[in-house]
Amino acid sequence: MDWFSYLVAGILVYVAVAVFLFGTAFRIYQWFRVTRSSVKLGLFPRPKSTLGRGFKLVKDSFFYPQVREVDAAMWIFVLLLHLGGIGAFVGHLRLFNEFTLIANALGDEGMAQFAMWTGGTVGIVLMVSVTYLILRRFKSPYKDLAIPEDYLLLILVLVILLLGNHLRFFGDIHVAEYREYIHSLLAFSPAFPEAIAESSTKWVLVSHVLTANLLFIYFPFSKLIHAVGTFAGNLIRSEV
Amino acid sequence: MDEKAQKTIAGVLDKRMNRQLLYYLDICTRCSICKDACHQYVTTGDVLYLPAYRAEIIRRVYKKYFTRSGKFYPALSEGSEVDEKLLDELYKTTYACTGCRRCMYYCPFSIDTTWFMAVAKAMLITAGRGSQILAELAGAAVIKGESIDLFKDIIIEMLKDTEKELQERVGNPKANIPIDKKGADLLYVALAGTHTILPAAVIFHQAKANWTLSMFEAANYGYFLGDVKQAVAIAKRIIDEARSLEVKEIVITECGHAYRVMQFLYEAWAKEKLPFKIRGIVELMAEYIKQGKINLTQDKIKEPLTYHDPCQVGRNAGFYEEPRYIINQVAADFREMTPNREKNWCCGGGGGLVAQPDLDDFRIKTGEIKVEQIKKTGARIVVSPCENCRLQLDSLNEKYNMGIQITSIMDLVANAITI
Repeated sequence: MDWFSYLVAGILVYVAVAVFLFGTAFRIYQWFRVTRSSVKLGLFPRPKSTLGRGFKLVKDSFFYPQVREVDAAMWIFVLLLHLGGIGAFVGHLRLFNEFTLIANALGDEGMAQFAMWTGGTVGIVLMVSVTYLILRRFKSPYKDLAIPEDYLLLILVLVILLLGNHLRFFGDIHVAEYREYIHSLLAFSPAFPEAIAESSTKWVLVSHVLTANLLFIYFPFSKLIHAVGTFAGNLIRSEV
Repeated sequence: MDEKAQKTIAGVLDKRMNRQLLYYLDICTRCSICKDACHQYVTTGDVLYLPAYRAEIIRRVYKKYFTRSGKFYPALSEGSEVDEKLLDELYKTTYACTGCRRCMYYCPFSIDTTWFMAVAKAMLITAGRGSQILAELAGAAVIKGESIDLFKDIIIEMLKDTEKELQERVGNPKANIPIDKKGADLLYVALAGTHTILPAAVIFHQAKANWTLSMFEAANYGYFLGDVKQAVAIAKRIIDEARSLEVKEIVITECGHAYRVMQFLYEAWAKEKLPFKIRGIVELMAEYIKQGKINLTQDKIKEPLTYHDPCQVGRNAGFYEEPRYIINQVAADFREMTPNREKNWCCGGGGGLVAQPDLDDFRIKTGEIKVEQIKKTGARIVVSPCENCRLQLDSLNEKYNMGIQITSIMDLVANAITI
């Protein structure tokens, strides 16, 4: 591993994961050290049972059905973005360990095809969704309300996606090599296998990891913390 | 503005900070879904009235004075200093907000803009920039609470004519409007004037209720002003009266915000548990009808009639079915507005707007959606159990030449009651 790759795809990955985890925990701690107002802010009608409240919380936080009524395009793209994000997360888990259940059923070639289609679709869907959000930000009133962070985050995510899609569609690195690299990270001795080190797409991978690291580092201190806070907000919605 | 003054005003945000507000400060993504939820933004197109922008003004102060991001990379988060321009914007957007919380309903994170507006009002008051008219009205209410003995004779005198009207209406020369009656079951809190006293008196008389009239009006201008101390003082006048009369419950007239203050805010603000129930008169009227305590004529109103869900009665208090139940007892042609219930549009008059003459043109303009909603029903009568809504609907009726009649539920019931 050259020194730059070692720094970015090695050391910085640990830093990013640590900042992400401790930073998020710190933000949650910041919320909880402030006294809660005893005013109940719930809207009506509200669920009567705890189970009903939990169900509503999940529905509101993951599917935000009321958004569909006022801005159907936004609802679809944001839903695709979030579902795509979950899809991308699950897809990357294959770089830790093979999904043996599916792999056994499909065989090596079948699994590769399956990963190409699902991963490829998710990558494209995410890119389209983020592009929509970026274009939307340049329109009034969204741009009147926007702050630099709004553009920066979207562009950062778009760059991560472009690089990721490049690796998926044009790269010559395969899952076994990625897995070797990830396992080296897990063993705290980051190293690229030869196939990556000598690949022409190595720098695309390093750039993908670099931008992803930056996103993870910025996550807790940006509006992305809504990924956690949305549950608190939506729980307040039905408090009695 | 000097630095000390800036810090004092920004410091209000720190003093008023609570967990809910901190969530809201941190999680808004400025997606602006709320733009389509706010009648003020939809009708003016002015970003100043976009709920997320309203909150963003406060968020910029928060970032500037209370976050590391605001200190270390202010360019990214756009922290703002407290200056005259910011206070001007804050004043315009804050006292214009009706507090309908329709934006909260549509927000994917359920952010309550009124929580920001409450802090904004506190900051403006600290800066000496609170609404003058609301401050005067709140101040007058507090003074009345402090010196009620001076007002008692005036109230008794005012009620004499109303009592006569009551006796004529119910055909009973002994019918009366009790005040200061110890041991009454319920303390009824009306509005200034007699228009919410007479119909209630008719209903209570027919239901043989053991009631007494509060010497205080339900409206709480301290709440509209954004001064919690005054809002508590104004509500406490009624609480203390109820305590001294040892009533079992307080019944608030058809006034949305007054009910919200007493039912949902007072205990948390004053940090005391109330020993009696708080109810709205609509709930009580529905109960009287269901229990057969009052009987209504079978000769129902034939003109088409619609119902406006006041935000503080519907979305913010949960009374959707009781008003409709009563209306269906007295009206033959009830037509729903679209949308209705929790999705209903604000009329544009709440939040103290009807009491602020400088916002008259604004509230007429922003009432356009409500006008269209009513017109689409084809109704000739609009019923609404909230005084602010009715005053706004009256203004809309006049300015848009709608030719409709606006009424309360109490009036419908009092007119339909069989004596």
